Amino acid sequence: MKVIGESIHVIAPAVRTAIEGRDKAFVQNMAKRQAQKGAYALDLNIGPQKKTGVEVMDWMVRTVQEVVDLPLSLDTTNAAAIESGLKASKKMAIINSTDATDRLKVLMPMAAQYDAHIIALTYGGTALPTSADARVELVVEKILPAAMEAGIPSDRLFLDPLVLTVNGNQDQAMQTVEAVRLFKQIAEPAPLTTCGLSNISNSCPTEIRPLMNEVFLIMMLGAGLDAPIADVFDAELMRIPRVLESRDDSTPVNKVYLGIYDAYQSGEKYDPSGADMSDQRVRDIVKTVQVLEGKNLYAHSYLKL
Amino acid sequence: MAPLEAPVEKWTGKIRELKLGSGGRKTITVGGGTTLPFVKFEGAQPHRPAIAIEVQDKEPTDWSEFLVSAWGDALKNPGAWAKKAAEFGADLLYIRLASAHPEASNTGAAQAKKSASEVLSAVDLPVIFVGPDVAEKDNEVLVAVSDVAKGQRVGLGNCVEKNYKTIAATCMADGHVAIAKTPIEINLAKQLNILLSDVGLSPDSILMDPTTGALGYGLEYTYSVMERLRLAALMGDGMTSMPMICTAGEESWRQKESKATLDVPQAWGDNQERSLIWENVTAISLLAAGADILVLRHPKTVVTVKAALDKSF
Repeated sequence: MKVIGESIHVIAPAVRTAIEGRDKAFVQNMAKRQAQKGAYALDLNIGPQKKTGVEVMDWMVRTVQEVVDLPLSLDTTNAAAIESGLKASKKMAIINSTDATDRLKVLMPMAAQYDAHIIALTYGGTALPTSADARVELVVEKILPAAMEAGIPSDRLFLDPLVLTVNGNQDQAMQTVEAVRLFKQIAEPAPLTTCGLSNISNSCPTEIRPLMNEVFLIMMLGAGLDAPIADVFDAELMRIPRVLESRDDSTPVNKVYLGIYDAYQSGEKYDPSGADMSDQRVRDIVKTVQVLEGKNLYAHSYLKL
Repeated sequence: MAPLEAPVEKWTGKIRELKLGSGGRKTITVGGGTTLPFVKFEGAQPHRPAIAIEVQDKEPTDWSEFLVSAWGDALKNPGAWAKKAAEFGADLLYIRLASAHPEASNTGAAQAKKSASEVLSAVDLPVIFVGPDVAEKDNEVLVAVSDVAKGQRVGLGNCVEKNYKTIAATCMADGHVAIAKTPIEINLAKQLNILLSDVGLSPDSILMDPTTGALGYGLEYTYSVMERLRLAALMGDGMTSMPMICTAGEESWRQKESKATLDVPQAWGDNQERSLIWENVTAISLLAAGADILVLRHPKTVVTVKAALDKSF
């Protein structure tokens, strides 16, 4: 698993202030800290920045590149700003993002011209996708043809199933997992897959968000997720791929992680019957799986039940 | 041709039964269903949905002329209003302590006790009391009412996520039922039930108010949320299986289609007829969605809805 570090994000007030004040030290510190935690790439979310986007993204890319040697994910809806970031990038950059609308016409050729990765969200511009099949349909009908036309090989694409909140769109959690599974089979060579992982727990109480993100990550990894955009400062989250790779089943929690991963890798639901329910963390993980699988209706205090 | 075989679902869960009224007061039990409403070939719906009539402890100033003329002078006195509501066929009463609202008469515990006593001695029907939906005032007047109604198992509301602890504790102390009201949203409805249970209130003493949208004002959304709450309960979710109460009268009589009498387009038809249709359609749709108690305002709607239940239940 490769994690695209999410922490340079304009929604965070400190980041917003740093961008406005062109505070190099702040941005560079945040970049270095994420690199130290093992980020594979860094997302640079500058917001829409309609007026100053071109200048801000150029500044952001140059600032970050002075201190870290990682691919950069250029995250804005402003296409001109993305282009200025591409021009400034030393490594193969990631365009974040196009969707399945007319943005494809601009951004796919741009990805081809600058030899970049591109994240494509399965969003058709009107309603949110309602099923795995609807997501696949957007890939097959819109995203892949646009990539082919621009001459972008399928393994330079990152497909993003558009993760929705479990609180309010509970049935969509499994649909996004299944979408990732289907994305990996949709073209040869297989496209890469990503997602905004923490979207799943948006509007959930702060104290349960890491747990929700971690459990959802394991399910998504089982289905074939390559590179989530996630919080690299979540130590447990970053521990998960190590547990899965080393097959370390030395603790009850690790055993459950492996159990969930194996089930999802074989396209099954998780069977908690072997889990050590005397462990509080194991119980919480199992309850979270049941919420994500739609077996138990989500409520903020579902862990109390 | 072979007769069509009805598709039958097997449910593992069941709607909880809830009893209101005790201590010499008439009792009523609602809930208990083992299938969706009116799906009789699939399971049981042991208790007929109940009709509550709304009574207020002060004369309403913003009610439609059609409601005012139907109730007449009874509106001026909660005891008289309660009696008349019983005569009009209410199975239970829903008493809104409206005078306690800071923007109404800003009355307090003393007035609440007086109004509650008047109603309780005027009728022997089961009763639900709700405050003015202002947290501090709700706590004050409902605690007072709880004391007056001790041992009579009345409903007390509304418990909301930001204000439920005092009302829940009062219900536990005096053996009453809490009305748990949430904005039209399934996850929030479940959440409040968990919070109430977590402070020690029995799930069998909770009545859910999922918040009603009237015809044209979110009725289909309410319907969908209620239906999903029932489906979750029937699939075994014990925190969504409480019976539901819907304030169909209040919501439908708030809308311009019910209230307007001036400059109404001719195509809208007769004003009174349209107002009644609005309450009827809202109410009957909510029965189909799973309402166990309907709170109504117009006596004629009570007759119509009861007739509909006679035919379909």
